[in-house]
Amino acid sequence: MTSRMIAWALAVPATLFVVLCLGLPVLATFATTFGEPAGVLAPYIQFFTSGFRRTVLWRTMEVALITTAISVTVGFATAWVVARAPGRMKSILIIAAVFPLLTSVVVRSFAWLVILGKNGILNDALLALGLVDEPLSMLYTEGAVIVAMIYLFVPLMIITLVGVLEGIPRDLTDAATSLGAKPAATFFQVILPMAVPGLIVGAVLVFTGSFTSYATPQLLGGERQMMMGTFLYQRAMVTFDWVGASTIAAVMTVVTLATVLAMSRLARRLNPVAG
Amino acid sequence: MTVSLTLENVSAHYGSTKVLEDLNLRVEEGELVSLLGASGCGKTTTLRLVAGFLSPTSGTIRLGERDLTRLPAHARNIGLVFQTYALFPHLTVLDNVAFGLKQRGMAGKERRAKAIEMIDRVGLAGFADRYPANLSGGQRQRVALARALVIEPPLLMFDEPLSNLDAKLRVDMRVEIRRLQRANGTTALYVTHDQEEAFSISDRVAIMNAGRIMQLDAPEVLYSRPANTFVADFVGFENMIAMKAVMEAGDAVRAEMAGGATLDLPKSHFAVPARNFIFAARAEGLQVAREGAGIPARLGLRTYLGRAYQYRCETAAGEVVANGPLSDPLEPGSHVVLVPQPDQCCLLKAETP
Amino acid sequence: MNDRIHPLLIAFAALTFLFLIGPLVIIIGTALSDTSFLTFPPQGLSLRWFENIFEISAFRRTMMTSFTLAVGGTIVSLIIGVPAAYALARYRVELPKFLANVYVLPILVPEIVLGFSLMKSVATGMGFSIWLSLLIGHALLVLPYCVRVTGASLNAFDFSIEEAAVSLGCPRWKAFFSVVLPNVRAGVIAAFILAFITSINDVSISIFLTGPGISTLPIQLLAHMEQFFDPTIAAVSVLLMGVTVAVMAVVEWTLGLTFLTK
Repeated sequence: MTSRMIAWALAVPATLFVVLCLGLPVLATFATTFGEPAGVLAPYIQFFTSGFRRTVLWRTMEVALITTAISVTVGFATAWVVARAPGRMKSILIIAAVFPLLTSVVVRSFAWLVILGKNGILNDALLALGLVDEPLSMLYTEGAVIVAMIYLFVPLMIITLVGVLEGIPRDLTDAATSLGAKPAATFFQVILPMAVPGLIVGAVLVFTGSFTSYATPQLLGGERQMMMGTFLYQRAMVTFDWVGASTIAAVMTVVTLATVLAMSRLARRLNPVAG
Repeated sequence: MTVSLTLENVSAHYGSTKVLEDLNLRVEEGELVSLLGASGCGKTTTLRLVAGFLSPTSGTIRLGERDLTRLPAHARNIGLVFQTYALFPHLTVLDNVAFGLKQRGMAGKERRAKAIEMIDRVGLAGFADRYPANLSGGQRQRVALARALVIEPPLLMFDEPLSNLDAKLRVDMRVEIRRLQRANGTTALYVTHDQEEAFSISDRVAIMNAGRIMQLDAPEVLYSRPANTFVADFVGFENMIAMKAVMEAGDAVRAEMAGGATLDLPKSHFAVPARNFIFAARAEGLQVAREGAGIPARLGLRTYLGRAYQYRCETAAGEVVANGPLSDPLEPGSHVVLVPQPDQCCLLKAETP
Repeated sequence: MNDRIHPLLIAFAALTFLFLIGPLVIIIGTALSDTSFLTFPPQGLSLRWFENIFEISAFRRTMMTSFTLAVGGTIVSLIIGVPAAYALARYRVELPKFLANVYVLPILVPEIVLGFSLMKSVATGMGFSIWLSLLIGHALLVLPYCVRVTGASLNAFDFSIEEAAVSLGCPRWKAFFSVVLPNVRAGVIAAFILAFITSINDVSISIFLTGPGISTLPIQLLAHMEQFFDPTIAAVSVLLMGVTVAVMAVVEWTLGLTFLTK
């Protein structure tokens, strides 16, 4: 048996599995959108001309962008502290950051239901402090979804960025300092430029994750704040409009892939090590 | 404008570890002094203290008249060359070299001009727009050098700059470094674990051990007149024999070693430091001869060095390494005498363990 | 060391961690409350809501299903994924460059799109049973971990050890099990754990593939939430968190947690 035969023999099962159980079904979904009697692109035209659908798409984009912006900033600042924490403390902080990542989306979103509800903790606190006269209705708002999403993705950013910051050799900051760079100068001229590629990768993960999210918008947005994920589910499992659902799926996939590709290219161009 | 560097009673304790204890060091203007020693001897700690990356537990560090001790690292104006070169990967060679000038607020045009001039001086003309990733080890080293030199610092410091280069390049680069340092006349502190490197380019060398300087002298002095057993062993005195001066014998001092053998040490060549002392000898400092005045020994394994034979010898005072002439190879088991060659021997004070 | 962090940053980081851990503490608190509604701080302490979980047959069944799916899906994924990772590490030159990306597709394609597509084509279109569809879905979901994480260990593996074994008379396949696998244990364990947790917690794929009689714990939890908004939900959440803690303890014990920042 030649090496090539062995290599393929080992790789074939997994490859076949992905092609048959992922590739074909997803392509079939896309194909569904092109087979309508009204025209090949009819479902897409319908999608983009429908005010409701455009709102859903735009809302999802908006939530994803805001979530990304805040998660990246908060994550970076926190990762900075974690990366510089002394041994023991650092391990504890990393565990604390990883733990939420490993709990279910349902659990993490549920927590915010409890906190933001009419009888929830936040309202109780606000009433007790006399800041409001009656409980605020915070659920089923875009804000609630955003808060819960940030909660989901900040840990991811922290972990990613700690890795990025630690990847910057200590010598470089020493060199910059020895050449006269004050701490702020070292940060903006050395550390930040080197962290940018990793930042981009992290941001892409958060963006695509929040854009395609289902459980969080479902629990905290409900039907009032329909987003792409919940919209897809509704079309598929409630109205059984499979063509409509496939269209949503296709749009979602295109947005995700386009973002990933564009950002990968950007990250690679900015990557200093690749020269 | 170059200055002297003074470390006075510098101690560095971190947690329960005492890395440096009461270190005193002075590097004169224009001098290149090396800190030489094995890992953990404190040489890198000393450098980092002067650079400002570490704070001493006590003591002062002065550059000329300036007290650096409390000054933050970015204000010290010292040119540093790192073992890993520490070039900024996201900047071109030009921007790397100009970095220090930028921090000092120099205008863009002037920065560029100065940086290019320095890049030419280190032999990298034409490389200004390259990125570090596209440079060889030796080229990166030159960029690191240029970057440190261009800011015209009163002090240059080198942290094992050549360890990542291969042997031939190391020799070429150390000469380059010395040449540039001499040309500028900048005071320099050089940290290395390589004895040949330190000895070949330094005005003086400080041999360090366990946070203390064991001897600070010109390389020639260290090589032939070590001050203690640590330094003697470091510079290659393979044999240390404990002896006791027993009496005068003409114009020599008669000394006795364990086992009763005696050796006459002519006063013209040897100055006996104390009653009990240590006779240190290089292998070539003890010549193997069939007969004569010397230490009686029995030969063991013989190895060929190219320029001589080397024998492991059993003496009453223990095992010794001695060289013998190519003209007379001797067999293991032979009884010989080891004749001291004064130029390759020295006497040291006996140290209490 | 000149590593002084600005106190404002430290305060900010502290607040962030409070933000991260606080809600989980709240859930634990509400689960212990002796009330039939969700409240924090808990009023009275009781474990009755935990008992309630086991009394609801739906939860009992779905716990079993989730666990079996997680183990089953991970094992299937490892069985096909590890050889693929081995092939990529050992025979990189013989295989097309894009192949590594194929195994990462389940992450690139939105989960929800994958779930929907599987339901449409596999469950409905081809009439596979719910269980089989779920298994396929979960195995796909965790495949990237089984290939990438074991791949990382395999890439760091010195294959000359394998060659040494072969030169000493050990047949290739045997060398794999006795020489290669034991030395990439860390990667396999890490992959298993990440896969297991991902599978147990999954919603986006399972939501399309679950059906009458067969559901996973998180999906069941969602359904329960729609009807009853009581501390049982919190109790199940705590249970799920407990699984995570147990798994993290295993990771810490075998690998050390900073493994995850790489």
